[in-house]
Amino acid sequence: MRILLTIENDYQHQVGGDTVMSKGKISLKIKLTFIFILILSTLLVGCSNANNEESTSKGNHDNMLTIAWPRDVGEMNPHVYNPSQLFAQSMVYEPLVSYQAGGKIKPNLAKSWEISEDGKVYTFHLREGVKFSDGTDFNAEIVKKNFDTILNNKELHSWLGFITKIAQTEVVDKNTFKLTLTEPYYPTIQELAVVRPVRFLGEAGFPKDGDTSKGIVKPVGTGPWILEKYKADEYAIYKRNENYWGEIPKVEKIKVKVIPDAETRVLAFEKGDLDMIYGEGVVSLDTFKQLKSTGKYETRVSEPIATRQLVMNTKTEQLSDERVRQALHYGFNKEALVKGVTSGLEEKADHILPTNLPYTKDVDVKLVKYNVEKAKALLDKAGWKLPKGKTVREKDGKLLEIDLMYDSAESIQKAMAETLQSEWAAIGVKLNIEGVELPDQVQRFKDNKFDINFYSNFGAPYDPHTFLNIVSSKGYGFNEAISAYPNKDELIKQMAKVPQTTDEKERQQLYSSILKSIQDQGAIIPISYMKKTAIYQKNVTNFNFPANRDENPFTGISIKQ
Amino acid sequence: MGNYILKRIMSIIPVFLLATLLTTGMVHLSSVDPAEAYLTAAHIQPTDEILAQKRHEFGLDQPFFIQYANSIMKICQLDFGISYVSNKPVWDEVIYRIPATIQLAIASILIAVFVSVPLGFLAGVKKGSAIDHFSRLLSFFGASIPSFWLGYILVFFFSVKLNLFPVEGIGTWQHLVLPSITLALPLIAMYTRLLRASVLENLQQPYVLFARTRGLKEKTIMTKHVLRIAISPMITGLGMNLGKLLTGTIIVESVFSWPGFGRYFIEAIFNRDIPVIQCYVLIAASLFILSNLIVDIVQIYIDPRISRKEGQHR
Repeated sequence: MRILLTIENDYQHQVGGDTVMSKGKISLKIKLTFIFILILSTLLVGCSNANNEESTSKGNHDNMLTIAWPRDVGEMNPHVYNPSQLFAQSMVYEPLVSYQAGGKIKPNLAKSWEISEDGKVYTFHLREGVKFSDGTDFNAEIVKKNFDTILNNKELHSWLGFITKIAQTEVVDKNTFKLTLTEPYYPTIQELAVVRPVRFLGEAGFPKDGDTSKGIVKPVGTGPWILEKYKADEYAIYKRNENYWGEIPKVEKIKVKVIPDAETRVLAFEKGDLDMIYGEGVVSLDTFKQLKSTGKYETRVSEPIATRQLVMNTKTEQLSDERVRQALHYGFNKEALVKGVTSGLEEKADHILPTNLPYTKDVDVKLVKYNVEKAKALLDKAGWKLPKGKTVREKDGKLLEIDLMYDSAESIQKAMAETLQSEWAAIGVKLNIEGVELPDQVQRFKDNKFDINFYSNFGAPYDPHTFLNIVSSKGYGFNEAISAYPNKDELIKQMAKVPQTTDEKERQQLYSSILKSIQDQGAIIPISYMKKTAIYQKNVTNFNFPANRDENPFTGISIKQ
Repeated sequence: MGNYILKRIMSIIPVFLLATLLTTGMVHLSSVDPAEAYLTAAHIQPTDEILAQKRHEFGLDQPFFIQYANSIMKICQLDFGISYVSNKPVWDEVIYRIPATIQLAIASILIAVFVSVPLGFLAGVKKGSAIDHFSRLLSFFGASIPSFWLGYILVFFFSVKLNLFPVEGIGTWQHLVLPSITLALPLIAMYTRLLRASVLENLQQPYVLFARTRGLKEKTIMTKHVLRIAISPMITGLGMNLGKLLTGTIIVESVFSWPGFGRYFIEAIFNRDIPVIQCYVLIAASLFILSNLIVDIVQIYIDPRISRKEGQHR
């Protein structure tokens, strides 16, 4: 302020003192100098302000965890999808049951449940004394109200199998809720653990017409966090729910800053504005490696969340031959590829689904080990011979040429595609790689306009049953892609049967034989197990990755003061 | 002059029609079905029934020209449709984000003008001096450096290392400094060179010699005569760049997490949120025309010779 006053005095003094010069000239010259000094001084004042703000905000940081997220958290409606962010929805709203490591389903808002002999009736005994964040009771009535508004928009949620099979929802008494299905569907319990849409909004959150698909009044949930402050595209602050029925979070607040750019997230983290960067693909591999190498931060990699696969279209002439598919599998060094491309952030995969998912542990597949000679022999046997002096195999005058489609925005897919191109060139296969945008990739997969494509499964709590559903249903791409399998019809019949099984043993048997048959015939090659990453400051402790891929990791986390 | 402005305003109409045609046609040229894009964006597994229902909802089952006419009718009422992603009216979403973008654009124009006018002028008047060399260096630098990279460099030094400004976000004016400098530097590069060239050209003009023979002070000649006329091409450049500035904010807003219109547009492209893309293209087109119009008016005000010429024509 003092600087400004001095300048003003100076200005008056000059104007008053110099009467000889013409007025216009004085004002131009002095105005320019004045503005220049003004800008300079405000800059200087501002710099000291910035420091002040920084130091005071550090004081406020006590027991608040600040993280960055690439997108706005959304409107915090438990019953809708994009642009609402799963992890944020999972902070405020809770499911009846929760998915834990290894696929165990644990009680949550339901303390216990019974499934009828025929597998159609599910009776849930709700936890007593649970309150919504506005103090109202959680009970069977509100459970039914939530189910009913979800079922009003059935087509929106039909991707979740059990939703389409609900015949009736019923309040038995204050704390007992009954769900009746039209047919037995064993994954019901697993699907009740997903983040959306079956989580529970308090009465005060419902709009007048009761239809939450168009919006909610306010986010009232039973979860450990309550939305305190929200600014679209900027940040959201959650405070802990002091009346939470379960383990009360250790940190008082979570601040989610919206930072769309990966490099900016890292810069903000390095400056200390962020306590943690968490998620899938939120930092580049190089950055992760670099931050890890400094030793200044904690870096963590999760258990496998999904398998990165190559899917071959067996409708194409070359790939309809199982020997060619196997040759391609034998013909590249998977371990080196995964290590080289992902720097150890992903792990070589031997199974088309991660083995930490239910029913996937003991699938006895034929393991394929890198063997160039075997690959060459298989191709020779299949009739693809290498003419003298040429580098690409031929059969009846046709070149062994295959296209691989990848998501151009995904650096890992691109690098893997390039590696495969050179590896397969060594066995006489010409691989053309083509980067396309994600929506095009999905579309072409569905339309079967590809030779080989990258894919990864949904992960917990959706798999393994969702994966089987996608493979068996028409229109997703897989069903058509495995057309050359001699036992395709039998496989599809088996896959349709799995969800209806009520006997645990029979179910396991079916899964084992289906997954083995799909993998052994070589149309789906497992490449790597994908993982989540977390980077956090050293004062953050007790961090654990959630077993459910979409859940938030914040409940147990704490900050050393 | 009134006539002229009216004519210019009328010229917005065909451009607007063309822009709507292009944006409506874009939907048809894209290999991805908007209904499917919507469902993908919403993480819903598309079934045939939902697809048909959504196509009907978006009016995609109608012939192209009916879709085109419908979209024009709606846009005239500022109805740009509903965002596929947020399910909210596009116009509301845009209006919410535009102030932040305007703030950034104005700040960078101010910086650009305050730096390039004195710099370009002095570089022209004192050709070959140190200041001229400096301005040339700055211009090369500003014109060739990609703005996202410049953004990271500025953040790295001024935020992470020196702790002078915040890394990202919006709120205080400190948040505004780095993004607006990033956005202003290419402008500074261009305007400085433009003004320098224009000053040099004007110094050769007879009116300068005349003014000197009249015995006017060199300073008066330079500031009251030369600068005033020489600045004209720079103002044209400024106008042409207003529209460019809007598109320039796309990258800068992403780098600095500035919650503006450009960042919203990027997300819309990624999600194939077609109504938002259409709205953006139309606003950008309108802005280009509008800024050129404003420049023409300002130029008449600054260089009275232009309006005198207009008068002669009449």
